[in-house]
Amino acid sequence: MIPRPMKPQWFHILLALGGRELHGYGIQRAVLDQTDDEMRLWPAMLYRSLATLEEEGLIARADAPADEPDDERRQYYRITPAGRLRLREETRLLARWVDAARDVEPI
Amino acid sequence: MSDRGLRAYRRLLRLFPARYRTEHGRALERLFLDTYAAWGRERGRHGAAFWLRVAWDALRGAAAEWLTTARESSHARASTGMRKEVAEMISSLVGDVRFALRQLARRPGLGVTVVVLMALGVAGNTAMFRIYNGLFLRPLPFAEPERLVDLDETAPAWDLEYVGIAYPDFVEWRAANRTFESMAVFTEGGGNLAGDGPPERVGYVSATHDLDDVLGLEPRLGRFFTAEEDHPDGPRVALLSGAFWERRFAADPAVLGSTLALDGRAVEIIGVLPPAADFVAEADIWFPLRERRESDSGWYLSGVGRLREGGTLEAAREDLLAVHKGMLPDRGVNEVTSPILASMRDRHLGAYRTSSAFIMGAVGIVLLLACANIAGLLFARSIARGPEIGIRLAMGAPRPRLVRQLLTESALLAVVGAAVGAVLGVWASDRLVARLAEQFPRWVTFDLDGRLVAFTVLLTAGSALLFGLAPALHAARQPAASLAGAGRSTSSFRHRRDLSLLVSGQVALALGLLVVGGLSTLDAYRVSRVEPGFATESVTTYRVQLPTARYTDDAARIAFVESYLDRLRALPGVEGATIASSLPLLGHWGWFYYVEDAPERSDDSNPVVLMRSVTPGYFDAMQVELVRGRAFDQRDGREGTPPVVIVNETFVRTHMSDGKDPIGRLIHTGGDDDPRLTVIGVSRDIKHYGLDEPMRPGVYQPLRQVPLDGFFVALRTSPSAPSPLAEARAVTAELDPELPIYADRTMKTVLERSLWARRATSWLIAAFSGVALLLAVAGLYGVISYAVSQRTREIGLRMALGARAEQVHRQVVREGLLVVAVGAIVGLLAALAMGGVVSGLLVQVSPTEPVVYVAVTLLLVAVASAANYLPARRAAATDPMGALRGE
Repeated sequence: MIPRPMKPQWFHILLALGGRELHGYGIQRAVLDQTDDEMRLWPAMLYRSLATLEEEGLIARADAPADEPDDERRQYYRITPAGRLRLREETRLLARWVDAARDVEPI
Repeated sequence: MSDRGLRAYRRLLRLFPARYRTEHGRALERLFLDTYAAWGRERGRHGAAFWLRVAWDALRGAAAEWLTTARESSHARASTGMRKEVAEMISSLVGDVRFALRQLARRPGLGVTVVVLMALGVAGNTAMFRIYNGLFLRPLPFAEPERLVDLDETAPAWDLEYVGIAYPDFVEWRAANRTFESMAVFTEGGGNLAGDGPPERVGYVSATHDLDDVLGLEPRLGRFFTAEEDHPDGPRVALLSGAFWERRFAADPAVLGSTLALDGRAVEIIGVLPPAADFVAEADIWFPLRERRESDSGWYLSGVGRLREGGTLEAAREDLLAVHKGMLPDRGVNEVTSPILASMRDRHLGAYRTSSAFIMGAVGIVLLLACANIAGLLFARSIARGPEIGIRLAMGAPRPRLVRQLLTESALLAVVGAAVGAVLGVWASDRLVARLAEQFPRWVTFDLDGRLVAFTVLLTAGSALLFGLAPALHAARQPAASLAGAGRSTSSFRHRRDLSLLVSGQVALALGLLVVGGLSTLDAYRVSRVEPGFATESVTTYRVQLPTARYTDDAARIAFVESYLDRLRALPGVEGATIASSLPLLGHWGWFYYVEDAPERSDDSNPVVLMRSVTPGYFDAMQVELVRGRAFDQRDGREGTPPVVIVNETFVRTHMSDGKDPIGRLIHTGGDDDPRLTVIGVSRDIKHYGLDEPMRPGVYQPLRQVPLDGFFVALRTSPSAPSPLAEARAVTAELDPELPIYADRTMKTVLERSLWARRATSWLIAAFSGVALLLAVAGLYGVISYAVSQRTREIGLRMALGARAEQVHRQVVREGLLVVAVGAIVGLLAALAMGGVVSGLLVQVSPTEPVVYVAVTLLLVAVASAANYLPARRAAATDPMGALRGE
């Protein structure tokens, strides 16, 4: 289902969850940081992306960490092993493309 | 944190499928609030930039979820093996929509053009249908409104369509009819209400006690009058309108049983009416009529009846006519009068049917032309897509499937265009509707309703079929995998002929509409230029009613009027002041007059004469010209002087046809003892009933001779002076602190209001015909351009063989104008043939007015030539070698 290369927002969500478990807004924040404020994931499309990734088994729902204030409306997510594998593949693919580009036109 | 922001977001969330909302709604809200707060921290405010992004995100998300839901449900059905076909249809429809979106995204210019055209057509139709619906389709706010009938009396011999109902007639109608379940009559009036604060002018309705049965009114509070209270000796009671109860008494239920001081009399409040009562008449207070059976105070009542279950208007007409004429032995005047019955709507709105029909026709034509242009565009596109479709057919795509695919694209465009158009139409009609609401009875409302929605949906579906089906069928009829170029020249000739016919049709429709628009605009212009015959600039008018309880006799009333007028004349800036029983465009008081020593006229051809009682300064203040004789002076009408009268030109024509000098003749009101009035002057006719209405015979008498307790005041000031209304109010309060002045208007507003409906109608038809012309010309431009592009090779060949550029240019222009000429002739003939219907719109202009036909044709030729010019120049600039090689 998930094409190669995957959509940028999926890549960034996986990347954001790579370090720790996050809820929706946390993911939005992390992606903003990762992209120098370039990519803001707005609520509806963020939830849609999360649903797709969850369906594909790349991420899974997680319990709220004990040290965070609890709000039952906030759903936390974590990356699954399959997700981590896919993220690594994707990164390698992108890296190869970047290398190829560098060979032709050094940047 | 902003509650408003969250509320707005919740509205957006309603776009999502319900199931998705229950599952993720709360999480989405939480995430939205976090995003909202973060945006606030970063940017300070939540402007359009924020909301546009949020809305776009929600729209995309919702669309995606709906698609997923549709696909899932179709899969689910398919997997159970039930209703497999439906499931497949849904999933293939989803596919069609996606494919259509991709196709359109590839050519956004086409999509945008179609959406704009469609929006234009639908906007006009939605706006005008909203008005038409309010006027003619929406049911009245009463129980079983289709059984309600408006009652009145008519007297053609007096040259009056409606005279009002006389009470004795009503009593007999009510008692002897066999077709009505109930009937009631009422009249409107006004009174001065004393109380805390300044005196207030209130409007009232006096009605017979059956009105609540006829209309099915349930009082909000208390009860309606009884038959005993509707009697001259009954106790004085009143009901309040809901609005008045809320305004004056803060909706206090304790008001029941308390008393009002109206015109110096105490009246007990027995109830409060529901809002529906406002639809009958805009009144604050409702009284029983308290009319005496035998009293005959003339024809002045409005009537309404409720037919028996299953009764028809026709049967009721015959029934009442028989009752009415059955009274003849005792009531000779019923020879002249007859009952006149109509549905409530026909009576009050019948005059607007013709113009409304024309406006609906105009917007219909605009939509038709928009559809024709869209069809042309899609047609050209389907020709361009020929190879693609040919290949798909060759690969085994079923034809019906292809037609559906192409129709899906048109439907998608139609829906988007219609949605934009509907919003535009509602928005654009809001102001018009606000103006209109003042013109019509209160039961006419223009709220949005299901009928309007259904109309727009049907319109959209119809349009999509209209402009989508032909191109889709055409595309699917072509042979499979027609190889590029094969058979092109013959088929392109046929396409051009089809398109030319389409454009000729468009030109015909647009030109026909332009003629109507031109006629009605010219008519409105000529009407507005009609000389009114009275001052309209810098004239302020208002009304005053002297309560008879305090101004008990004529002497007291005359004394008030004279000292009042002296004070008004002394106000700064006032150049003329008068008090009169009616002013131009305001009010009518009819009577019969006879001229002594004039040829006998039969009783049944005696038109009603407009009678006005005026103070001597009237002719100067209103600047009404005297043709002969003199105006009234201070002596006229005093005790011991012979009674005098001034007649108008029409009166001389209708009543003194023997040609003798009118000055010095005697006229009277018919009775042997009635005073003989000496004619002392003849006044110029004025447009008393409106610039577009004929004038009646009219007379003026001095106010001393015919004293009034209620009257109009007119103050003419110098053009630079401010409105004298505040000073006039102060002067009134000095003379009588309990006397309110009301209905204040400038003559200019009154005049403009009387012309407004005519102006609006002509303006709308003209505007829509202009749009129609633009659409037709755009279609013409498209077809000529297309023809030129299709014939590049032919033109190149001819130029290679020696044709000169001007010849090519001329030929292209000639072909374009031929298409226009065919359409123009058909359009002009159609307009001429419609003359009879069109004349219903016109007063001052004949439906065959040559000026309009010539002007409109010239306009069309000018615009059409401009549309031809560009393609012709392009054709003339063809490079012969390039064109030949290009093929």
